[in-house]
Order: sequence, then structure tokens, then C-alpha cells
Amino acid sequence: MNVLEIEHLTQSYVDAYTGDRTLAIGDVSFTVPQGQFVSLLGPSGCGKTTVLNIVAGFVESTGGRVLVEGAPVAGPGPDRGVVFQDFALFPWLTVRQNIVFGLRMQGAGKEERERRAEEMLALVGLDGFGSKYPHELSGGMRQRTGVARVLATNPTMMLMDEPFASIDAQTRRVLQQEVLQIWDSQRPTVLFVTHDVDEAIFMADRVIVLSARPSTVQADIAVPFERPRTWREIQADPRFAELRTELMTMLGVEDL
Amino acid sequence: MSAVAQLEERASVRPVRPRDAIVRYSGIRTWGPFLVVLVLWALISAAGIFPSAFFSSPAEVWERALSLVERGILPAYVGDSLIRLAVGAAWGLVIGILLGFVIGLSARARKFCWPALLFFQAIGDIAWLPILIVWFGFSLTSVTIVIVYTVCFPLIISIVAAIDAIPANMLRAAGSLGASRLQRIVLVVVPAALPGLSSGIRTGLGYGWRALIAAEIIIGTSGVGFMMFDARRQGDVTQVFVGMIVLGALWYATDALLLAPFEKATVERWGMVEGIGR
Ligand SMILES: Nc1ncnc2c1ncn2[C@@H]1O[C@H](COP(=O)(O)OP(=O)(O)O)[C@@H](O)[C@H]1O
Ligand SMILES: [Mg+2]
Repeated sequence: MNVLEIEHLTQSYVDAYTGDRTLAIGDVSFTVPQGQFVSLLGPSGCGKTTVLNIVAGFVESTGGRVLVEGAPVAGPGPDRGVVFQDFALFPWLTVRQNIVFGLRMQGAGKEERERRAEEMLALVGLDGFGSKYPHELSGGMRQRTGVARVLATNPTMMLMDEPFASIDAQTRRVLQQEVLQIWDSQRPTVLFVTHDVDEAIFMADRVIVLSARPSTVQADIAVPFERPRTWREIQADPRFAELRTELMTMLGVEDL
Repeated sequence: MSAVAQLEERASVRPVRPRDAIVRYSGIRTWGPFLVVLVLWALISAAGIFPSAFFSSPAEVWERALSLVERGILPAYVGDSLIRLAVGAAWGLVIGILLGFVIGLSARARKFCWPALLFFQAIGDIAWLPILIVWFGFSLTSVTIVIVYTVCFPLIISIVAAIDAIPANMLRAAGSLGASRLQRIVLVVVPAALPGLSSGIRTGLGYGWRALIAAEIIIGTSGVGFMMFDARRQGDVTQVFVGMIVLGALWYATDALLLAPFEKATVERWGMVEGIGR
């Protein structure tokens, strides 16, 4: 069953100053089956974030249809958890309280919240950090909190918008592996937005490439690697280099 | 805990610089600057640069302060001023916070109120005194209105600015975690606006305190402002000095006892602002 169906999505923006209309998304259609991890790859400014925001219900599309589990998207909802590039944690709540925010909104009792918080803290490797405030954590730990906050309510979809872009390069690779492990425990359907080719391949079952603005689906490529994956193995795999070259060429990045 | 978590934890611990520690714990930071001013003041008055009728020495001021306390004048006047400030500030805070959030949250309220807000902000607090005296006489009501007026504006404006500055993604995150509009306001907008709220309270109370002294000088029946102005009329420079020092000391105490602890326990604890003046 397809969890996400996007049909002929278009989006135009009106510039607030000049009044000009720009077509950001030309015509985008794709579907994502249950449990699949999909990377949405494309050059900067091609409309990846816009697609994700429309699926999340933050932005209303100007054309086309977006269905989640068969129902048209109408506003944000707890069935679609979002992981943000800037984390968007609540600084006045502890890590534990951040993680159970969604459960609190669902009216879960204190006991259940506490139990779930401990589970999630252990899952994302943050046990012992539950009582810290977000500003006391490193970027990597903050983003693991962001992932835990989403997964705590078992959403149907996890939407991730360049979640590792504000994290330093050394931590990023470790975090990518860790997030895959975490994902594996629940296997929600994931829409993962990135402009980083390596990351797009490493994380996903499938890479959807958007063309430059006004964007269309330029390619839809299956990623053949088994899970669990580690960077060490993937990098050594000749198919990784091939895939990488193919995608780089598609994006018009010459230097390899 | 994963290896990365351990690594990162080590990296996130901030080292304490030894010089900071000395300055923090010895009280030099608090009293040092006052000591410098006091010494300069004593030197200037001992050197006799100004005639003593215009410039009292620290010793004279200290003696006068003691005698004013003994005679019960200073405590009574300080009490009067503080009660006026408390009444005015309490109303000012309630009205300012309510209006701040309403204007900050509702586009319609903002469109409606903003021009009036700018207009009335331009009529300085004390500019209201003439008409207030006509309406309410030399009464607590007049003083309260002036203080409410001065407390409100900075509060409203900084709350509105704080609400505007809330990162869009923070509100989106709450929405996608299932928060209703009311929950987003109570659980996200209010705490996220707290840094603005607390700086607005600081500015508002500071202005309110000054407006009170000005009002006491004009309306003058009691209070620290009255005491200073009365002393000037009698050419009593020493008592004017006492009044000035009391003003500074009271504001310092308000900050140290009320504002700073509140900020320390909330917005600073959460890393939303750096310590103000600490
Ligand atoms: N709120 C907006 N108003 C006007 N233009 C926008 C807005 N959001 C995005 N755009 C424009 O739409 C295009 C796609 O943006 P975005 O989805 O953020 O791209 P990406 O995430 O792929 O970098 C960009 O050219 C951007 O300038
Ligand atoms: Mg983007």
C-alpha cells in the first residue's frame, strides 16, 4: 500500500516585494509504499523543502494532490512527524519533556509518558541526558532528540529536511548510521530531503531526483544495498561509486 | 550511551576560566565599581574643588541618611514610593502583558491597535500629568496612571517583537506533534516569548520607577522624589544626595531580588538568553 501519493504537484510563490509569480515546483508526481525510506535529492532552491512542507501540511499547494494513507493532507498532524534542520526543539523543556511532547498532546498519562521517554532515550543513545536542556547538548545529540520526539508517537511517516546539515562533518557520518539503526526499530515511511548525494544514497531505499526550478522528477533510482548499512561497507562497494557518479552527473556536478 | 554521545558530552562541557571564578566569588564584581566611585567622590569632596554647600562628602551623606532613618522619614518615604510603584507596576504588568499577547497573536488586533500605540507612546509619561492632575487631583490615582502608562508600552512592544521572533519551525513542530492552536499558544508562544517578556518587564519597571520619581516631584506630598525636591527647595544638597543614592540602591535591590532570580531560573537556565550583566 502506498502511504504517500503525490500527483501533479505544482507550487508557485508570489514575491512579496515585486509581486512576481515564480513557479517553484513545475510538476512532481511520485508514490511511496509503506515502510520505504526515500531520499528527495536536488540542487539548492529546486523546491525540496517546499514538497516536504506541503506533505507536512505546513504549506498549502497551489496545484495537484497529496494523499497520505489515501486521505488528502489538510494541515499538520501527528501521523507525519517532522525532523528539522535547525532541530526546532523547545528550549524551555528538558530532553525528556521534548521527547514526550507529542504523547502529551495525545493526552497520554504521566506513567506512560515516563516509560516511553526512557525507551526513546535508550533507543537514541541519550540515556542519562533526559533532564538536560537542549542548549546543554551538542548538535548531534539535539538531532537525536529531534528524531526521538517524532518516533515517540509512532507516526506513519517521518519527514526529514536536511536533518544533518547543521552538524559537523565528523559527527554527521556516525549520526547517519545511528539514525538508520533507530529507524530500523520502527520502520516508518520516510521522506528524506537532502542536497548531499552521498547521504541520499546511504540513507535510502530509493532516490528521487528533482530537476532545477521549476522542478520535475528527473530520475527515480532504487538503491541496492542491504541493511543494516555502515559507511565502511557502502564506501567500499563499487556500486556506490557508480550510483554516485550517475547522480552527480544528473545534478550537473562535474568535479568528483 | 553510544560512543558518540560520550565524545559529544565531553565536548559540550564548558571550561571555567580561573579569572572568571575569582571575580565571581570574591564579591569584587558586585562591590568593586561602587568602591571606585566612593573613593573618587571622597577625593573630589576632600580636594574642595566644589564649595561644600554644593557637594557633600560621603561622610555627611552617610550621617544624614542615618538620621533620616532614625527619625523615620526615610523609611516612610521609601515605603510610600514602593507602594505606589507596586500598585502602578502590578496594573501595568497585567494590562501590558494581556495587550502584548493579544496584539502579538492577532493580526486584526495589531492592525487596529498599532497606530494608536505609536501615537500614545509619543506622549511621554509626564506629559500626562497636567491633565491627570486636573482630572484626579494630587492623588494616588494620578501617580498610578502615569506608572501604568510607562510600564505598558515597552512591555507591549517587546512582547510583540518576541512573538514575531519565534522561529516558524518551532510552531510547526508543535503543530505536527498534534498541538491545537490553544496548545501552541500556551505551550509554545508563551514560553518562547519569555525572554522578550522579561526584558520588557525590566525596561518597563525601570521607566516606571523614573516616572514615579518625576511624578512625586510634581505632585509631591511624600516619597523619595518629594524628599529630594523638598531638600532642593531648602538648599539641602546632602539630602538630595541621599535621595539619589536611595534611588539607585532600590533599583539595584529590585533587580537583584526579583528580576535576576526570575531570569536565572527561566530564560537563562534554558539557554535562551545570556546572563544580563552577570
Ligand atoms: N515562502 C516563500 N515565498 C517565496 N518564495 C519561496 C518561499 N519558499 C520557497 N520559495 C522559493 O521556492 C524555491 C524552492 O525553495 P525550497 O523549497 O526551499 O528549495 P530547496 O529546499 O530545494 O532548497 C526557491 O527558489 C525559493 O526561493
Ligand atoms: Mg531546503
